[in-house]
Parts: sequence; structure tokens; C-alpha cells
Amino acid sequence: MNEIINLIIKSAFMDNMVFAYFLGMCSFLAVSKKVSTANGLGLAVIFVLTCTAPLNWLIQQNILNEGALSWIGPEFATVDLTFLQLLMFIAVIASFVQLVEMIIEKFSPALYGSLGIFLPLIAVNCSILGGSLFMVQRDFNLQEATAFGFGSGFGFYLAIIALAAIREKLKYSHVPDGLKGLGITMLLTGLMGLAFKTFIGMTL
Amino acid sequence: MQQSNTYIIIFTLIMTIFFGTLLSFTRMQLGPIQKVQVEIDTKKKILGAVMDISSLSPDEILSLYSKKMTSMVLDISGNEVLSSDGKLLIAEEVNIQKNYKIYKDDRKYPVFMFSEDGNSVDYYIFPMFGNGLWDWISGFVALDKDLNKVIGVAFDHKAETPGLGARISSDEIQDRYKGKEIFDIEGNLVSIKMLKKEKNPALSIHEVDGMSGATITANGLNDMMKNYLNCYLPFILKNKKLDETLISYNE
Amino acid sequence: MSEVKEKEVVKVKKSEALFSKRRRNILIDPLDDNNPVTIQVLGICSALAVTIKLEPTIVMSLSVVFVMIFSSLLTSLVRDYIPTRVRIIVQLAIIASLVTLVSEFLKAFNYEMFKVLGAFVGLIITNCIILGRLEAYAMGNKPYDSVLDALGSSVGYAWIILAVAFFRELLGSGSILGYKVFEMIGWSSFPTNGLFVDSIGAFIILGLIIWVQRSRNGYVEN
Repeated sequence: MNEIINLIIKSAFMDNMVFAYFLGMCSFLAVSKKVSTANGLGLAVIFVLTCTAPLNWLIQQNILNEGALSWIGPEFATVDLTFLQLLMFIAVIASFVQLVEMIIEKFSPALYGSLGIFLPLIAVNCSILGGSLFMVQRDFNLQEATAFGFGSGFGFYLAIIALAAIREKLKYSHVPDGLKGLGITMLLTGLMGLAFKTFIGMTL
Repeated sequence: MQQSNTYIIIFTLIMTIFFGTLLSFTRMQLGPIQKVQVEIDTKKKILGAVMDISSLSPDEILSLYSKKMTSMVLDISGNEVLSSDGKLLIAEEVNIQKNYKIYKDDRKYPVFMFSEDGNSVDYYIFPMFGNGLWDWISGFVALDKDLNKVIGVAFDHKAETPGLGARISSDEIQDRYKGKEIFDIEGNLVSIKMLKKEKNPALSIHEVDGMSGATITANGLNDMMKNYLNCYLPFILKNKKLDETLISYNE
Repeated sequence: MSEVKEKEVVKVKKSEALFSKRRRNILIDPLDDNNPVTIQVLGICSALAVTIKLEPTIVMSLSVVFVMIFSSLLTSLVRDYIPTRVRIIVQLAIIASLVTLVSEFLKAFNYEMFKVLGAFVGLIITNCIILGRLEAYAMGNKPYDSVLDALGSSVGYAWIILAVAFFRELLGSGSILGYKVFEMIGWSSFPTNGLFVDSIGAFIILGLIIWVQRSRNGYVEN
């Protein structure tokens, strides 16, 4: 159990998707102008990452890996479908997002109003696909993959909320013309990343 | 324009078949080349522990390897394992990283043996795996035929800090291990310890200079060596004894 | 059938020079005034992580240029047949297949680089520039124009990440393409800065590049 919690802490703080791997930068920069919208996107990312990481893990283990198809029959034991990995992962993510969008729209219009508009954005959020690819690269098991998905999503949530809060305050500051918008946000992200570095070595 | 469902399904089907065929065809063509690449990569790392291979071409590495190297897979008590789950085990294909995640008694331990003349073993090469500061570190440690003195090491890492922890993959650091010994005079395994700072005066035969600013990486390195040498210990002791009896027999 | 032919003939008559002014603009615009990274804030995601050293960055840029050009070409060729309702999935499938091709070739012919780039090759799929240009341009324009647009955007993207990589490798590792330039000019004690090897350095360098570029071309974001 401790290991799982440590993994969540590690993926949320030390290996933060945004600050350590630059993943999800596009939506991180584009949707961080207001705290309320950042909150919506952040929650959506947590949810989708936590679900797609184990989903893609199951696909990787039971379909894509070399010899993974042997449950169909012994003659499939040597089939290696890893070259379909990218195609499968992105298809799973895109259709999962679509599915969730439809379900939310049908059953909870209120939630759809606050979360729904962010869901389509998420299909092309690199941190979702990145989460799945890293999970394979690091040889996680199912629990670890789920924990990793959740931790990474939570890290993204923290990052985008914090940045949005800073940018709301920044409106009252005098920023040089060329730095306005993206420029100052990049520098801010760098400084925030520096702050997140202080978590290195933290374990339970 | 809004198309009918049938059209969408047919379009998607054609697209799937087209890309599926394209990708499988590529994999069929490139698969063998990729396999060789992975093989070269592993063999390069193994040979790198005992000699300088930077000037060798991939083909030379493969032929050198097949001439001079033999290998086997061990279990925790130092016995050779030939197969697992009905599959023949090949030492070069054992994934050290995957094995590291399971309990040490259940792991498979590959050993590689280098022989100059093709008869007696000159060097033993032991792969190992552990954690650095950021991510995994791994290594191949080559011991002489008495299984005590280090002939060479080859460390690798995933994401250690360049200029600090990442120095473990440089010759400068790896050369420090050459000639060090893993057993003390009484025959206890003490492994080799990397100290905290650089330029330490009076290093013992079991110590090497450290890397300033990379103590966590160094600790990871020390743990990795100690853990794995302990796992290989039954095999090491067996073969040490064997050598001694051989010597007395020859006399 | 004959109608279609007539249409094509008209189109050919109207066709313009291979590098007319309009087409040159399609190509040149994204390099500076409308740069996908610094002005449109796209595609920062996947590639900054590989900019620690110049060499992997070059491979990454070439991969992106390749994927971008061919996905634009393919999308533009079949643009009239793609069902509107599933177009995003279709575009993603085209991109993902091309990226898989790149990744397979890299694994076969440059395994060292494949190991360095790791999962980041796969992440080209979610590079928003590619999907963005497919959706905004290739879906509605002729193949040749789309290719020009793709070339412009991807080169505009490439030069930015190459610039970032140049400074990161120079300041962080004291080298360019692996050559220790400072030692060569006799300054062997050059103090390399670990910050630039870290992701933080990339953010800061990119921020500064944006500053310089925007001050030069006068673009102000509100």
C-alpha cells in the first residue's frame, strides 16, 4: 500500500506531467486564464487519466504484447502486435472521452455544463496519451498503472489551478508588451517547476 | 454534409484495413532488422564491461560476441535454469528490469562468460539493476576468473542528472572500479562502495571515489552492487571452489 | 463523368505558379509572424522534453516535418470523402499510423535514438500543431497548398525547438552536438548550469525566445 501511495506522490509532484515532461502544455497554457475553467479541465483530466491508464494497460497486456494473445489459442502465442500500440491507445482515449461525454450529457446536464465542454479538448491532451505510454515503458502492474494515472492527473490539476490563480493576479501587474500572455506564462511555469523540484526525495 | 451511418462504417472499415495492412507490412519488413538492433545493443553493453568497443562496428561486435562469449541463466541458489513455462531461456533475452520487480528468490539471473581461447572462462559478467535518484540505473560488472577482482564495469541510467549522477556512465567513473576487490581477506563479501566525496585520500581495495553532488545516485549504485552480488553469491562461491579444486588437481 | 472532367480543366486553367506570392506566404507566414509555437501557442507539449541535446531534437524535428507533410497530403487527398461526424478520429488515425511508421523505422535504423526519444515519438500524435493544421487547413484545401502549409508550420515549429535545444545543450552541457565547444576554445572550466538540463531551463529559454521574437515583430497578446 505504501508503495502505491509513494507512486501517487511521485507522479503528482516529482514527475509532474507538466513541469517534468511538458505534457498537456497546450491546454495548460490555453485554459489557465481563469481558476473556474482551470478547475473544470483539471477534474476532467484526473478522471480520464485514472480510467484510460488501466484500460490501456489491459489492452497492452492482453492484446498487444508479444504472446499476449495466447488466451485465444496456442497458435497465437508468437503474435506480436506492439506496432498497433499508438493506434489502439489513441482510439481508446478518443472513444472513451466521447463515451463519457455522451453519458454525462444524458444523465447529469449540470455536470455536463461545467465539465462537458472540456472533454473533447482532452482527447488531444498529450498528458493522457503520455500517461498510457509511460505506464507501458515503466512496466507497471494494474494497480500501479491506476495509481500512476490518478497521481499524474492530480499533478496536472494542481499545476493548472496554481497557474490560473497566479495569472488572475497577474492582470494587475505591468508586464512588458512582448512578454504579455505566453511569454510571462512560460517564465512563470519555469519558476513553478523550480518550486516543485523541492519535493525531490520525498517518500512516505 | 451529413453522411449515412452505413457510409461512415464502410469508410472506417476501409481506413482500418488500409492502415492495418500498411503497418503490419512495415513491421514484417522491419521486424528482423529491429531484432538485430536490440541484440547488438545488449551485446554491446555486455562486452563493454570487459573491453573498449567504441571503435567496433556492429558486425564486429556480433562476431566477437559469438566467438568469445557463453552465457547461462541461474536461479537464486546458483543453479542453472534451462527453461521456464516451457520456453527455452536465453540469457541475452532475460529482461533484468522485469526481473527486478519480482521477489529476489523468484528472479532469473543471467551470467555471461568471456573466454579468450574458447576453453576456460577468463571473465564473468554479471548484470544488475537498481534505482538511482530519478529512475532506474543498471550495470554489467565483470569479475576475473577468481571471481574477486573487478575487470571492468559498464553502468547505464535512464534519467540521472547530467553532469552529476549521469557521470556513472562515463569512463572516468567506471575506470575507478578496475582492480577493486569484492571479497575481504577472510572471504566475506563486502562489495565495492562508492564514497561520498571526490579525491578521498587512502582508498581501500573495496572503495572508490564518489561523485560530488550525486550522493543519492552513488548510494543507489552501492545498493545495486551489494544486492546483486549477494544474489549471485551462491554461484560465485561454487565457481571459486571449483577453481581451487582444479588448481590442486593440476598440482 | 464529362462534367467532372470539365471542372478539372477549369481548375487547371486557373492554376497559379508553383511558387506564387500567395503560396510563398502560406509557406513563410508560420516561420515568423504566425509561428505555431510562439504566436499560436500550439505544440509545446510533446517536443520540449527532448530538447536537452541538439541531436535528438533534430531527429524529433525531422519526424514532425515528415508526419505533418504526409498527414496533410493524405487528409487533403481524401478530404471530400471523410465523414464529418468521425473526422477527428480519422485524422488521429492518419497521424497515429504515420507516427508508428516513424517509430518503427527509427527502431530499425537508429536504435540509439529510439531509446533516447522513447515515448516522445508516440507523443507526436498529440502535437496540437498537426491536428490543428489538418482541421483548419488540410480539410478544406487542395493537396499542394496543404503540403506547403504543413511544411511552413512544421519548419516554424522545428526552428523554435532547435533554438531551445541549442541554448540548453550549450549552457547545460557545455557542448554543441556532443562537441565540447568550450574546451576547444581553451575554456575548460566553463561552469555548466544544471538548470538548463532540467525542464525548468526549457521553460525559461522558451519564454525568453518568445519575448525576443514578439518584441521584434510587434505582436502583443491581450
